[in-house]
Amino acid sequence: MIELKNITKTVRSGTEDLTILNDVSIEIPDGQFVAITGASGSGKSTLLGLIAGLDAPSSGKIFIDNDEITATSEDGLARIRSEKIGFVFQSFHLIPSLTAFENVLIPMEILGLDGVAARAGKLLDAVDLTNRGHHYPAELSGGEQQRVAIARAFANSPKILLADEPTGNLDSKNGQHIFDLMTQLHAQNKVTLVLVTHDATLANQAQRQIVLTDGRVSSDETK
Amino acid sequence: MKFIFNLTRREIRSSWRRLLFFFLCIALGVGSIVALRSLIQNLTKVVGNDARALMTADLEVSSTNDFTPTDVAKIEDVIGKSAIVEARNETISTASMARPSDPANESLEFVELRGIEPPFPLVGNFATSDGQAFDYKLLENNGAVIARILLEELNVKVGDKLKIGEAEFQIRGTIDEEPGGTSGFRMGARVFVEKKSFDDAGITRNTSRIRRRILYRTSENPTPLVTQLREALKGTTIQVNSYREQQENLNEQFARTENYLSLTGLLILVLGGVGVWNVARAFIEQKRKTIAVLKCLGATGNRVIAVYLLQILTLGVIGSLFGVLLAQFGLWVAKWRFVDALPAKMSYAVTFATSWQGILLGVLISVLFSALPLLQIRSIKPKLLLRDENNVNINRLDWSKWIFGALCVAALLGIAVWQAGSLKVGAFFLGGLAGTGLVLYSAAVILTWVLKRTKSLGTFSIRQAVNSLYRPGNQTRIILLAVGLGAFVVIAVQAMQTNLVREFDFSRNQRLPSMIFVDVQKSQIDGVMEMIEKAIGEKAELVPTVRARIAAVNGEAVNFTQREIRQQQGQIGREFAITYRPKLDTNESIVDGEWWTAANPDEPQVSVEQVMAETLKVTAGDSMTFDISGRKVTARVANVRKIDVRNARTAFVFVFRPGTLDKAPQTFAATVLKHIPATDRQRLQRDILEKFPNVQIFDVADIIAAVDKLVSNFVIAISFVGSFVLLSGILILIGSVALTKSQRIYENAILKTLGAKRLTLATILFSEYGLLGLLAGVISTGFAVSMSYVVCRYLMAIEWQFDLPLTIGGVVITALLVTFVGVAASFDVLFRKPLATLRSQ
Repeated sequence: MIELKNITKTVRSGTEDLTILNDVSIEIPDGQFVAITGASGSGKSTLLGLIAGLDAPSSGKIFIDNDEITATSEDGLARIRSEKIGFVFQSFHLIPSLTAFENVLIPMEILGLDGVAARAGKLLDAVDLTNRGHHYPAELSGGEQQRVAIARAFANSPKILLADEPTGNLDSKNGQHIFDLMTQLHAQNKVTLVLVTHDATLANQAQRQIVLTDGRVSSDETK
Repeated sequence: MKFIFNLTRREIRSSWRRLLFFFLCIALGVGSIVALRSLIQNLTKVVGNDARALMTADLEVSSTNDFTPTDVAKIEDVIGKSAIVEARNETISTASMARPSDPANESLEFVELRGIEPPFPLVGNFATSDGQAFDYKLLENNGAVIARILLEELNVKVGDKLKIGEAEFQIRGTIDEEPGGTSGFRMGARVFVEKKSFDDAGITRNTSRIRRRILYRTSENPTPLVTQLREALKGTTIQVNSYREQQENLNEQFARTENYLSLTGLLILVLGGVGVWNVARAFIEQKRKTIAVLKCLGATGNRVIAVYLLQILTLGVIGSLFGVLLAQFGLWVAKWRFVDALPAKMSYAVTFATSWQGILLGVLISVLFSALPLLQIRSIKPKLLLRDENNVNINRLDWSKWIFGALCVAALLGIAVWQAGSLKVGAFFLGGLAGTGLVLYSAAVILTWVLKRTKSLGTFSIRQAVNSLYRPGNQTRIILLAVGLGAFVVIAVQAMQTNLVREFDFSRNQRLPSMIFVDVQKSQIDGVMEMIEKAIGEKAELVPTVRARIAAVNGEAVNFTQREIRQQQGQIGREFAITYRPKLDTNESIVDGEWWTAANPDEPQVSVEQVMAETLKVTAGDSMTFDISGRKVTARVANVRKIDVRNARTAFVFVFRPGTLDKAPQTFAATVLKHIPATDRQRLQRDILEKFPNVQIFDVADIIAAVDKLVSNFVIAISFVGSFVLLSGILILIGSVALTKSQRIYENAILKTLGAKRLTLATILFSEYGLLGLLAGVISTGFAVSMSYVVCRYLMAIEWQFDLPLTIGGVVITALLVTFVGVAASFDVLFRKPLATLRSQ
């Protein structure tokens, strides 16, 4: 369960304060597929980053499984991300110095798991990259890089998968492939999937759609 | 831990090329320290390893005077009461001229003559060149055993005869090495003869440059005996030494030399540390996204720091190991270059202890200099993956960085103190380095600021080049600091060398004699003068000399039982050649008191040379007592004199007013100024020695050659080390160029897209590094010239002259070097296709 209570995020822009999120409160039950949409600058990515503990809100509280992450230290947040959260970025953010296989290994190694090589292999199989594990990110296409990112996001069997415009840098064919992979893994593993997207077609396939306008929730519909 | 090790391994695999400069910076620094320390340690092993063997005894009582019966009685009294003395012998030594008896052989050489008696040596081994143990019988009936090199120098062979003084000796054998090896400065090669025949040679009769030794072998530690002897001989100038003290002194000297040399190595290592800091800083900046991803995937800041710290440690260790290899290579180069100046049996291998020390230092410096850049990892937030904003706080120094910075400085001070072996020297080193760095850095800031004001001038290429020096993440100041420091050391050494060599350039002294003839007896004056005039065509200048020792200052005998006074014994306990004359010489000036006048004609008065007056702490009005052949003469110090040695024909430390010494036993010194060919000089020396064997002749050309060689070896050695400093600077330059390369590639791609030709881009490149080089050259040369002025005028107190060719050369060569290295490291950028670059951004 993800709970956001009265979240406000203000940043300093030049000499002025800019409010990106304004008193946002959302509850997302376990296993739900939520799409967050909205215009550029509406605060979608910031909201996702706050849920992952990548940034702290200016005010308000965020709970994950009843633990308040807004009161957790930097190292505590790292542990929560390692154990419970998987993240997929628009620009993939693979580590360029590691091969695809090693990129998938990393989250498991951070957690100190054993027998991780076999699982990394399976995850690459699941995203159709069986023979591409030894390649470096620079040697992979955008679609392939994003599939590695998805395999990495699922490496530690997270309860929550956060995806920030995962298809935004891909063509429509590759975009659909990535989307299918994520929804398929969401269904198989019963994870909570929070997807930030511009794409209305993709958003319509979610169980719940939240629209942000100027940092506020302007619409919240569940099918 | 598994995560940390695995990621470290993978990161090194992909990043090692980028960190190559890090690696090389450390390797060069460690290499310098290990090479310099090993060199001096190996030298210590050969030269100063065994003071006991060097002394050939456990205890030595020595004097440059005859032992008086009273002295002997005192010595025998102490020795007689001691139960630890096992054996005794006496030796006598001096420098003298040796010439083959064969009149057809005109060779002539200075030798170090040593008269010995059995048993010799009391301790240690003594073997002849053929490996046989030395047999005293070789010396009986005017035999001599000589250093093998003398056979070649005198063009003689075993069995031939040599003339030394009035006696003739037959060469019965040769030695390659005398007991305990060789130590100290020698006038010539060693010749061993019987002590008895030494006296027969007539050498002891007139000359006083003789050292007599009574040597003892003891069954136990001789230190208590040394104390008793010193107490008994208090008030005399007789020296008492034990091998233990000698060893301690030798060890102290070598340890001090080793520590000073290590500081030079540390300078290179610290410069390498600056390179490490620069590379680590840029590396972490490049790794920002990777670090953010790792944090996003759940790695804590400390674990990420651990990954990069382990990476630095690994490279530090590998770099240090490579440094040890470099050191070994350096020692081979030293062998090739300095083999003639170093002892024959010296080892040129790096020592184990030094290697360990070098590796430890390399790792410490790696960690210390990368600590602050690594701390920046804490400031890198995973949110930058969502919005690629610049992490504005990344370079802000928070309190933890201040604390860490202070710890690093403290650790660096600890290392400097450890290497220097002294807190004062270590702190001075670090302070001096910080001061030099600050001056260079400030100069760099000011010059670049001035340059910025002129950026609207010049062509498009020049304007772009100036702009490049200010691009975000530019390396301008760090390059100026690093290259500037390297060039500064090399140019400063050169500037000081020029002045030092000029100082030792005896040819500038119009009054410098070409030959000096000493110990000429009154009865020999006419004969010697006639021979000189006939050979040279110049009438020699004759100066009376009286041999004297300082017996007391202001009525108090010099107390050599005190350690600090004993250390100056060589300086003030020796026998002086003093003279008397009515007038001040043209190259002398009075700094205290007055030159003698007609008043008080009967009062003995003496003039003291300035440095000696300072050593003895005497001023005009004090009294000094001299021992002249056993007679005590007390004189009032009339004045203190300064001698301009650059314009000196003779330089007497003590000059008496005429009257007091006129009747004292004296000899004469004759000097001539005119230069004649070497063969003529040698013939004159031989002729005079043939007729007057007691006369000692100094060929000034030989002395000048020896001093020149010493200075030139010294300069080569410092320049050799200095070039390593410059090399470190160049490495940092290459590293800095590599760090900004991706930005340059991107800028060039944009400029090409906007229509810039390759020639334009090449001009920008040349202009940028040309400007940078020019700035580095001006800064380093300016500072080096200023430094040479301060050192020459105030530390060495020698004349300083501005050297225009060196100054211009320093600026031009530094500028060319920076331009060449910078352009060579970036040249491929000009040939990249812009599309691929723009797409990858």
